Amino acid sequence: MELRGVVKILDQNYKVGDVVKAKIIVIHKMDTGFTKDKESGKQFPRFYMKEITATYNGSVIAHFDLDVATSQNPVIQFPLKVTGPGELVVDFVNSEDEKGQKKVAIVPAA
Amino acid sequence: MKRRSFIKGTFALATIGLLNPVLFRHGLLAEEAVEMPFKELLDEYVRGKKVEDGAALMTLNIPDAPENGAVVPIEVTVNYPMNPDDYISNITVLTTKNKANKAISFDLTPANGIAYLFVNVKMGQTQDVVILAQTNKGRIFKASKNVRVALGGCG
Repeated sequence: MELRGVVKILDQNYKVGDVVKAKIIVIHKMDTGFTKDKESGKQFPRFYMKEITATYNGSVIAHFDLDVATSQNPVIQFPLKVTGPGELVVDFVNSEDEKGQKKVAIVPAA
Repeated sequence: MKRRSFIKGTFALATIGLLNPVLFRHGLLAEEAVEMPFKELLDEYVRGKKVEDGAALMTLNIPDAPENGAVVPIEVTVNYPMNPDDYISNITVLTTKNKANKAISFDLTPANGIAYLFVNVKMGQTQDVVILAQTNKGRIFKASKNVRVALGGCG
């Protein structure tokens, strides 16, 4: 199953050379492996978002290693220096090697 | 001889077939809960280097007493120039008293422009958030803040 997520640029009307903030939200459980189901008493297996990689115009600009202390449905914001029009591609990988990808276009104002 | 190898082969296949769903589809190790004490994580990050106090260098925006320990917003800005030859290459957020203390490790490049990170962290009880920033030359800065948690998230 493809992982669900959202990627967007928070700033508007940015120019080349500006630093903008990008926001990533991934819809994903972050089970630590320590919690138990209240009814059956069975332990939930460890199941979490593992890696997020952001690529801007072909070069990796940000890499995140997540672990179980991050909140459920992880929200991340990171900065990005606009060098020209292009595309920000974000890849997600979870602890069971399921993958997802989201893209957002970067269009600086002329 | 043929019969022997045939039997061996069948047994091997059967064993792999039985283990397969457990071992490879879910990953046996990935499912087990792993305790990550804060001290081990810190030692692994620092690796015997000198840790400098980064309280003046970092601007932290963390609530003193969040409503819910399951979602504690952490906002960090490291006021360090991001030159191509001297920049912040990693920001790591750790907690001190959860069972698993590693929240996130963020690898930066000079293309980021500034050293900034926002992330939500789970906290089981009242404890410190420790933020470690490392430059590409190996200087390590550390800053922390105590967060009072009334209602713990399953940390």
